[in-house]
Parts: sequence; C-alpha cells; structure tokens
Amino acid sequence: MDEEYDAIVLGTGLKECIISGMLSVSGKKVLHIDRNKYYGGESASITPLEELFAKFNAPAPDETYGRGRDWNVDLIPKFLMANGLLVKLLIHTGVTRYLEFKSIEGSYVYKGGKISKVPVDQKEALASDLMGMFEKRRFRNFLIYVQDFQEEDAKTWKDFDPSTANMQSLYEKFGLDRNTQDFTGHALALYLDDNYLQQPAIQTIQRIKLYSDSLARYGKSPYLYPMYGLGELPQGFARLSAIYGGTYMLDKPIDEIVIGEGGKVIGVRSGTEVAKCKQVYCDPSYVPDKVRKKGQVIRCICLLDHPINNTKEALSTQIIIPQKQVGRNSDIYVSVVSYTHQVAAKGWFIAMVSTTVETKDPETEIKPGLDLLGSIRQKFVSVTDYYEPIDDGSQSQIFISESYDATTHFETTCLDVLKIYKRGTGEEFDFSKVKVELGEEDQ
Amino acid sequence: MATNRTGSQRANGAPQTKVCQFKLVLLGESAVGKSSLVLRFVKGQFHEYQESTIGAAFLTQTLCLDDTTVKFEIWDTAGQERYHSLAPMYYRGAQAAIVVYDITNQDTFGRAKNWVKELQRQASPSIVIALAGNKSDLAAKRMVEFDEAQAYADENGLLFMETSAKTAMNVNDIFLAIANKLPRNETGGAAGAGGARRLADGEQPRSSACCNRAPPRAASDTRSGAGDASGRGVRGLRSSLRKAGFTRALVVSQAV
Ligand SMILES: Cc1cc2nc3c(=O)[nH]c(=O)nc-3n(C[C@H](O)[C@H](O)[C@H](O)COP(=O)(O)OP(=O)(O)OC[C@H]3O[C@@H](n4cnc5c(N)ncnc54)[C@H](O)[C@@H]3O)c2cc1C
Ligand SMILES: Nc1nc2c(ncn2[C@@H]2O[C@H](COP(=O)(O)OP(=O)(O)OP(=O)(O)O)[C@@H](O)[C@H]2O)c(=O)[nH]1
Ligand SMILES: [Mg+2]
Repeated sequence: MDEEYDAIVLGTGLKECIISGMLSVSGKKVLHIDRNKYYGGESASITPLEELFAKFNAPAPDETYGRGRDWNVDLIPKFLMANGLLVKLLIHTGVTRYLEFKSIEGSYVYKGGKISKVPVDQKEALASDLMGMFEKRRFRNFLIYVQDFQEEDAKTWKDFDPSTANMQSLYEKFGLDRNTQDFTGHALALYLDDNYLQQPAIQTIQRIKLYSDSLARYGKSPYLYPMYGLGELPQGFARLSAIYGGTYMLDKPIDEIVIGEGGKVIGVRSGTEVAKCKQVYCDPSYVPDKVRKKGQVIRCICLLDHPINNTKEALSTQIIIPQKQVGRNSDIYVSVVSYTHQVAAKGWFIAMVSTTVETKDPETEIKPGLDLLGSIRQKFVSVTDYYEPIDDGSQSQIFISESYDATTHFETTCLDVLKIYKRGTGEEFDFSKVKVELGEEDQ
Repeated sequence: MATNRTGSQRANGAPQTKVCQFKLVLLGESAVGKSSLVLRFVKGQFHEYQESTIGAAFLTQTLCLDDTTVKFEIWDTAGQERYHSLAPMYYRGAQAAIVVYDITNQDTFGRAKNWVKELQRQASPSIVIALAGNKSDLAAKRMVEFDEAQAYADENGLLFMETSAKTAMNVNDIFLAIANKLPRNETGGAAGAGGARRLADGEQPRSSACCNRAPPRAASDTRSGAGDASGRGVRGLRSSLRKAGFTRALVVSQAV
C-alpha cells in the first residue's frame, strides 16, 4: 500500500467501479479500496439469504426458502435501459462479456387502483384500457410525432420549437388529458415528479425515444437485468480496472484522507500505512464532512412465493405508480425479479417497493405499492439518506459521487459518473481508448 | 475473419460437429505461474520474466475431440487475488477451474487448498477442479511432495498433475484431462440459464454461440502476430492429443 498512485478510489459501489475502470483504461495508476470485504457497497447483492436476514436483524430463514446461496438480493433496485448509457458503457468497455442479462418481461402503470400494461406503440395504444376512444387517437398522434421527431431536422418539429416551448404546451398541442400526461411523463419518460412539465419539451421527447428505442432492442420491455443481480455490475467494472493495472484491496478500513498544502489531498491512511496520491474519488460514506443531505429514499424488499397479480404470471416486471394517482409529489416504484435471474431459490420472487420520502411516516407512503403484491412472506424496510457533495472537488481534488437516487434505472448514475470523470480529469471520457478486441462470441 | 472461416468450412463440406463452450478459471497465489500456463497452452510460449497479468479479458482455446469441439474460455485473475480481493463474479458460472501452486513454495500449496474450499463452497456443485503443481522443472528446490498433493487431490476428487509452463510438461495434458471430464452433451457448456444473453452491438443471444458454429481450421485461425510460437503450441498440443488417443484432433488458438 505504501506507494504513490495517480488516483485512489474509495468504495466499490457501481459508480466508483466505473470511474476506477475509466481511469485505469486511460493509463492512470489506480488503487481501489473498500472497507467491506465484499464488492459493491450499497450496490451489492446480498448472498446468502441468511446474510440478508442477519443484516436486518431478522430470525434466520426457514427451509421453505430453499438454499441460502441461491439468493442474491439487491439493496438498491434498478433496471438497465436496453438502449441507455450503462449499456453503452458496458459494450464500449467490453465489460459486457463478463455478464449475462435477461429482459424484464413487462412494464406496467397504475391507474385508479389497478395496473395496466404501458402502451408503447400505436397498436398497443389503441388496445390499451388506460384511455377512452378519442383520447387513444390523440395519444396515437402524439406517439407518431415523437417517433418521427428528429432533432437535426426542423421539418419534423411541426411548427413547435421543443427547445424553447415546454412539455405542458406540447401536451396541449395534442390535447392529451391529465391521465395520459401522467403515464407519458412517469411511465414512458420516467420522470420522478412533475417539474418536467415546465422544462423544454425536447428533454421529454428524448426520454420517450430512449424508452421506445430500448424497447425496440429486445421486445417485451425496455429494461434489462443482469443474471445473479445488480452486484455483478460493479464487479465487472472492477475487473476491467484490474485488467488495466488497477490494484484492489478489500476489507481495508480507511482512517484518514490526508490533506496537504492548500487543502489538496495527498494520500489515504489505513492504520499506520499511507498510500500517496494526487486525487481521491469516493462515495459519500467516506467523506461525511464533505457532503450534504439531499433527501431520503425508502426501499422495502419483499420476498414472495408467487408472481404479481394481473401481470400474466411474469417472472419480472416493473410497475410505476405515478404520483398524482396516489396524491403524492413523487412516484412509487415496484420492481420484481425472481429465480429466473438466479437471485432467488426456485419458485421465489423478490419485489422491491421504493420512493422518495415525503412525510414523517415513510412506511405508510409505500402502502399502495405493497398492496399490489398480494401476500408477502418477508419484508425488510430501510430508509436511507441520500447525499450530494458540497463542492466540485477542484480545490481538494477529492471527487465525490452522489448517493443512488430513487430512479428505477441507471441513466442518472451514468451521468454522475461521466460528470465526475470530467471534473477529475478535465476531459470527456474517450471511449476509443478501450481497445476492445472482439472475441469470437462477439462476432 | 469470422466470415472467411465459416465460408471455407462450408466449402469443405466438413461434417457438422457439436460445439461445447466452457468457462475455465485459474486460481492460485500470485506468481505461481497461472498466466504462464495459459500462455503456454494457448500460444506455446513461455516468458522467463512474465510480468503480472494486465490487459487481457480472457483467452479462448478450442480443442476438437472426435465429434465434439470443446471451446475453453480461459479467465485469468488480473491480479485481483493479490490482496484477497477476487470478485465472486470471476468463478460464477465456471464449469472448470485449475488451482495452481508452485512446488517450490509450501505457502502457495496452503493457499491452493483454501481456493479449493472456496470453490467447493461457492462455485457450481458440478465444477471440475484440477490441481496443478507448477514449476516442476525446479524439482531441485521442491518444497511440496508429489505424494502429499496427490493424496490431497484424491481425498477431494480433484484432477492432479505436476506441470511446467517452462518446459511445457503436462500443460496440454491437464487441459485435456479437464476436457475429458466435462459433460459433452448438447446442453453442456452453454453457460448461463435459458434466455440470458450477452450484450453486443450486433446483438445475438448468448446460447447461439454454443451450437452450430463450425470448428475453425487451425492454420487459418492462428492470430497474425502470434507467429511461429503459436504454431509450436498447436503442434505440441496435437502430440498430446495423439497420445491421449484423439487421432482426428484439431487445435485452434485464439486470444481475446
Ligand atoms: C495468457 C497471456 C498472458 C500474458 N501475460 C502477459 C503479461 O503478464 N505481461 C506481458 O507483458 N505480456 C503478457 N502477455 C502478452 C504476450 O507476452 C504477447 O502476446 C507476446 O509478447 C506476443 O506479442 P504479439 O505481437 O504476438 O501480440 P499481439 O498479437 O498483439 O497480441 C496477442 C494477444 O495477446 C493478448 N495480449 C497482449 N498483451 C497482453 C498482456 N499483457 N496480457 C495478456 N494478454 C495480452 C492480446 O490481447 C492479443 O489478443 C500475455 C499473453 C497471454 C496470452
Ligand atoms: N521455472 C519456472 N518458472 C515459471 C513457470 N511458470 C511460471 N514461471 C515464472 O514464474 C513467474 C510468475 O509467473 P506468472 O505466470 O506471471 O504467474 P501468475 O500466477 O500469473 O502471477 P499473477 O499474475 O501475479 O497472479 C514468471 O517469472 C514466470 O516466468 C514454470 O513452470 N517454471
Ligand atoms: Mg498472471
């Protein structure tokens, strides 16, 4: 450890592992440390099942849960958008060859106490029970507009300037009612709240395009999920970093981030050992005095021995409960994965209900989500603060990631990573630096 | 390259063979010769001053045994084991493992036993484990007795050989012994469960990589740049295969 590095990365959560990989690939000498003896930090998948029960101080699981080691339970629920940034990062870095994925079978939205499939193309829109006859027509026209929309080609804008006009006015142009706006903004564009209505419409159009392009890739839903759980993702990027020379140390407590002249970081101390460095990249838990609380997220892990009602027995699903449907300011998300992803013993399902906390009683807030699940065999609730850095790190050369937010996919995660990389290195990440020699399986 | 290969295969009208792909991982203390064993097996090379491993995701080597093409996807640790920080993802889904120790270093044998335990606890129950006592050319400095290791291997149901990446002794043989012990049925080797896929720009479900792919020809498939050394590797492997009774065997190397 007593050596000098270009960068020391603290924590092996997904963001830190991607950053570590990018730095190593760019030729930096990287030391990557975690205080835990496993990879993933908050983005780990817990295994065996006994470990999960112990973590939440519950009595050990009985034999009906099958073999404990068949379980890999995520602490933070997220899916990958098939055409999203994380998939691009995985493919460009070659990390995709360490992992295997399955499509999420269905994507649903909640309306008036029940769930319906999210309509994504014209055909589904016309068959959907979310809208009345005339509304379907209007929604169909709106979808066609979005599909044909090209940012570079003003002709496709149809007398509407989406870079200045806001989304509310685009909805009005097509005469869409509140309900349709709700599932469009929340189940297709995947916004957490309604602030987007006042923002330029182009952002929402691009998000809907991401949704439909992702859907076009593999069919049933726009989402992908890795076999053995999300914890495989940080491990994959850690291997990338190691392959490009990064040094890994788990189970290594960090006692001090050593600051030198001018408030600039010069190293990291563990016990009596000090590793010197020019920069530190870390998650908020390593620098409690350099982050501020931005809010709270509640996540409830539910173990079920059956699929969710009205999802055609799907082995995986996402259900979005738009804020307005239940009188809230932020959406409630339900994600379901199961034994088919090697994250649970045969016959078992893991549902996660999560949202941004708005009241003093967060458990009551997620009740509409829990009510959709049917009987729940075991429930683990956690309420966690999420943090953002108080500065951009340019002075201290300590670059801090934001905690994982309540979104159900990795787009904000990747944007944060790319921003941090740019702040730390002064340049955009150059994907061409990774020399991916395609293997036979990729040809 | 892929197109050429498939093309020539069809032109030859060679019989369709079964293709089985297996993930094989190497485990063992740093500097016992893991990378050297792979380099010897895949390329027929040895470097006296082999640096610690960087830059390779995994390498593939294909053996054609009678009617079956066995394709090894060989993973090296990338140094992550150095501070006991190997990720479980590494041996996830592996059908075979070679646990390596250095016969001149007793500690590496103790560490190898720990790896075997770890694999028995965490890896797939059907994994084929081989124990390799490497650097057998340094028998003068031997610290681990052959019989001790053999007895340990027998107790734990492991394949065992003493190897030398330097002289090539038993290197091909140990891979071959593993290939023979792996189930070579139609489903054998299709890593991952049904419907899972790797992602790539030209998207294809993963499972299609296992079947129907015609075995490539040795000469045309050797990577440019690998040169003569690679040829030697192929010849060496051929003779081992012959010794083992595979007359129609064909070896193809490919680095990723
Ligand atoms: C299993 C294995 C381990 C190796 N370990 C090392 C090592 O620790 N240190 C080292 O300096 N060289 C290593 N090499 C690289 C090897 O020394 C070179 O491939 C050799 O010098 C031949 O050069 P070339 O011009 O034929 O390479 P190329 O034809 O350019 O490459 C041959 C193949 O080897 C792979 N390769 C290139 N460099 C490495 C590397 N560093 N590690 C692993 N694979 C590599 C490439 O991806 C390529 O697919 C390793 C190669 C293999 C197959
Ligand atoms: N004499 C002799 N030396 C060997 C043999 N195999 C490997 N070596 C040497 O041992 C050293 C380490 O070999 P590597 O192949 O790099 O070992 P490794 O297990 O891959 O090491 P890490 O990548 O650091 O984990 C190198 O100097 C090799 O030349 C062998 O069979 N005989
Ligand atoms: Mg090595």
